[in-house]
Amino acid sequence: MNTNKSNFKTMKTIFLNINAMKTTKFLLGAVLCFSLFLTSCSDDDDGGTPEQPNEEEVITDVTLTLTNITDTNDVVELKSVDPDGEDGPTAPTITITGNFTAGATYTGVMDLFNSIEMEDITEEVTVTEPDEHFFTYAISGLDISFSRSANDIVRMDGNKLGFETTWVVANNPGTGNITVQLWHESETVDDSNELGTQTGGEPDVDLTFTGVTIQ
Amino acid sequence: MKHFLMGLMLFVFGYHHAQNCNFTLLGEVKDFHDGAAITAANIYIKQLDRYIISDLDGKFKLEELCKGEITLVISHIGCETKTITIDISGDTFKSIDLEHHIEELNEVAVTGNRVVKITKTAQETLLKTETIEQYSHLSLGDALKEVSGVSSINTGNSIVKPMINGLHSSRLLILNNNVRLQDQEWGIEHAPNIDINSADQISVIKGAGALIYGGDAIGGVIVIKPRKIIRKDSLYGKTILGGQTNGRGYHISSSLNKSFQSGWFANVQASLKQNGDFEAPDYNLTNTGVQSQSFSIHTGKRLFESGFELYYSYIDNEIGILRSSHIGNVNNLIEIINSGQPPIIRGFSYDIDNPRQEVTHHLLKATYFKRFKNFGKVNLQYDYQKNNRLEFDIRRGELRNEAALDLELQTHTLLADVNLDSNLNKKMNFGVLLRYQDNFAPNTGVRRLIPNYEKYDFGTYITSEWRINDNLLIDAGLRYDFNRVDALKFYRITRWNERGYNEDFADIIVPPAEGEDFGTDLLANPVFDFHNISASIGVKYDLNSKNYIIANYSLASRPPNPAELFSDGLHHSAARIELGDLRLDPEIANRLSMTYVYTDTNFNLNVDTFYNTINDYMYLRPTGVQQSNRGAFPVWEYEQTNARLFGVDLTLSYDFTDQFNWLNKTAFIKGYDSRDLPLIDIPAFSTFNKITYTNENWYNFSASLQSEWVFEQNEFPDFNFETNNPSTGEFVLLDISTPPPAYHLFHFYSESTFALSERTSLSIALGINNLFDTSYRNYLNRLRFFADDLGRNITLQLKLNY
Repeated sequence: MNTNKSNFKTMKTIFLNINAMKTTKFLLGAVLCFSLFLTSCSDDDDGGTPEQPNEEEVITDVTLTLTNITDTNDVVELKSVDPDGEDGPTAPTITITGNFTAGATYTGVMDLFNSIEMEDITEEVTVTEPDEHFFTYAISGLDISFSRSANDIVRMDGNKLGFETTWVVANNPGTGNITVQLWHESETVDDSNELGTQTGGEPDVDLTFTGVTIQ
Repeated sequence: MKHFLMGLMLFVFGYHHAQNCNFTLLGEVKDFHDGAAITAANIYIKQLDRYIISDLDGKFKLEELCKGEITLVISHIGCETKTITIDISGDTFKSIDLEHHIEELNEVAVTGNRVVKITKTAQETLLKTETIEQYSHLSLGDALKEVSGVSSINTGNSIVKPMINGLHSSRLLILNNNVRLQDQEWGIEHAPNIDINSADQISVIKGAGALIYGGDAIGGVIVIKPRKIIRKDSLYGKTILGGQTNGRGYHISSSLNKSFQSGWFANVQASLKQNGDFEAPDYNLTNTGVQSQSFSIHTGKRLFESGFELYYSYIDNEIGILRSSHIGNVNNLIEIINSGQPPIIRGFSYDIDNPRQEVTHHLLKATYFKRFKNFGKVNLQYDYQKNNRLEFDIRRGELRNEAALDLELQTHTLLADVNLDSNLNKKMNFGVLLRYQDNFAPNTGVRRLIPNYEKYDFGTYITSEWRINDNLLIDAGLRYDFNRVDALKFYRITRWNERGYNEDFADIIVPPAEGEDFGTDLLANPVFDFHNISASIGVKYDLNSKNYIIANYSLASRPPNPAELFSDGLHHSAARIELGDLRLDPEIANRLSMTYVYTDTNFNLNVDTFYNTINDYMYLRPTGVQQSNRGAFPVWEYEQTNARLFGVDLTLSYDFTDQFNWLNKTAFIKGYDSRDLPLIDIPAFSTFNKITYTNENWYNFSASLQSEWVFEQNEFPDFNFETNNPSTGEFVLLDISTPPPAYHLFHFYSESTFALSERTSLSIALGINNLFDTSYRNYLNRLRFFADDLGRNITLQLKLNY
């Protein structure tokens, strides 16, 4: 008799378990559906080869071309090429082609290029976003009178961008350095001393060309 | 008439009696979990309105029962009262199971506020609801600093990563409602995605003693538990509303809990928080606003013998990063450090501009458990997490509104756990874990910091606990974990060769498909397998009723995380290039700890000591400078060393009178590498003293004054170096190593509670942080190079319990 009773009890337990299992199954199903729903929210299929990174903001080639206003064949070119960008291990190659002619006046024009994506950054800086950028220059050891050209791009705040510049070379030979910096999102910029000063920006370009010669 | 009625009654009774009223019910009351007889259980027979009591063997006998149903209500001290109905149709035997150890088995909350430690021999500290509520407007990392020996590593004041005994990030496990948080915790500026308001109780376990949660907890484990389920018909809730002067912020958090005697329950909780730019004593911290939303739902049915629950939580944090911390190159960094204040200081704003982070985290969990007689409890759990981290940098062109970093991490985990507790003196716990993780990084126009990868984990563990006698308890555990990482990553060929991978890993290069050209990149498919063993053994010995000591040894093993393996790029807020290493081995920690606890009515003392040696400890160290068109950047590489850390954490509480209490928390820690050089980012000696005045008669009034004194860290690795300033042509020193000077802050906090009705109460709390508006910088804040920490902050908080 006791056996009977415990059998009955076991049956009841099983029945209860089935009930509990049904609930559990239902809930597990619901959870799985919900996770599938969440999973399917992922916009991309991440199987297979990832998309190759495109590096649109990198400036690999920086060129300052200075052309004698009276002799277009008299060109000084300051160039830095960093083919693997700012976080690649290769250091930029800096080349200085040509010498300044004492007593001459040059027009300087900047050129910025991304050789990884074959993208012209100059346009981005000068046409699209001149108000967020500012070039500053530093000249040491060279007797040059520097100014921002009359037809340089003027920012909304009245400061000249420093894209096109005028370099009046004195009759005084020597060797020195030229620094070019391009600032992004500066808090303040000021072109009143022509070379330019800024605060709060971060450099997109920060290069010093050493061994530039006036002869 | 009278006679007729009596006659009828006699007839009915007599008929019944004559038919069936000679049955016997034999009953036996037993303890559910170990089958022991329960003596002196009170059995109430409803139909007869009679009580009987079980005998020494737990047995009882009811005679002369009639055919039909009888209802028994069985109660016993310390047990949950049980009502059963038995169908009597003959002599019957019935075994009734009560659970006598309901509290010891940690099943049911007897009061709403009962706190139970998870471990027996680990250095564990509990944070209770009242403490957590004080941090309602802050973050998990802030609240955890209540524990002596716990500090934090910060990026500003809103990104707060907990640090236990000098270790953080991947060396800590964070469990939210028994789900291990998978939220890109490798990153130093990735704060845990948890709303502090969803926590009811937090356990901080120093070291790797809690093996059931993972074998890689070299620093420790943080276990966050939601409100415990009370099995009775009730409906209650809580709303916290607050505001603060610094950041002009507000926060609101509300929860509602409904439970039924039948075991069903449902809890919902939601929080909203907003802050604008914070202020240092002397200037605005531009672009440090925060906006956070979260909610969670918890429902299920929980009985003693079985139960299930569903839990879902969502959090969305948008955090502004100090504008001045986004820098261009190393000279830019030097200028900012030397100027002593951030270069960009603007007026107050609630706007959150770039640089900023936006992180969303979903967590979904389903569990089912069943308890078996004379055996224990089986628990099954499935959880799913989806973490999406977007980091926005200062960018040029059309990309300015696009995230520079976009990572989507999805994790599925299955967990089966068996807890054998039928013998309370010899408990055993074992289980299996299966986990699949997928990280997806779409193309953002910036090289991926972390590549796409899939990760497979398998873990199995066994832990056991023996109570040898009333004074001595021993526990031990063993765990094995297998991890496989399968990644697909584009390397720049120049970087690949510079790392020497062309010699060591040539076989993992994936050739481009036909018609494809990777140009200056190559695609690699690193697959790494790691086998990790972890173990723990501990002892707790009660010297007498007031003193006990615990000692624990643990072995933990942590494989390298994705950042350590794959990092490859420029980190703007640090102006440095960070490089991972595919050759890294797991780090293995051996930690010895010893704790002494003294408890008395008016004096409590807790002394935690530890010695942790970590072989192949992974860390970042500067190895040189790299030139680019943007100027120079220091290069930091992940390296391995044999580290050792040791220290003492002290907590002391003394009641001078019934009303005045003095609390002291002091932490001392040292860390060295294999060349006896100090480790970086080790917290300085700190001591907190708090005097609290309490007067229960004044609406539970309490007021406290706290002193926070953090010393200068005088042992640090010298990672300074000189670099050429191109504008001046001079060499200048980049001082990124010297810790800031010591600081001493004072905080005030007071609180009162007013009973509005029998079931509702209102608490009002007023706090003033940094009372004297002291300017200071914290060694463990990564933005210390750029700006001071927060100035005075006055907070007001209303809490309504209903």
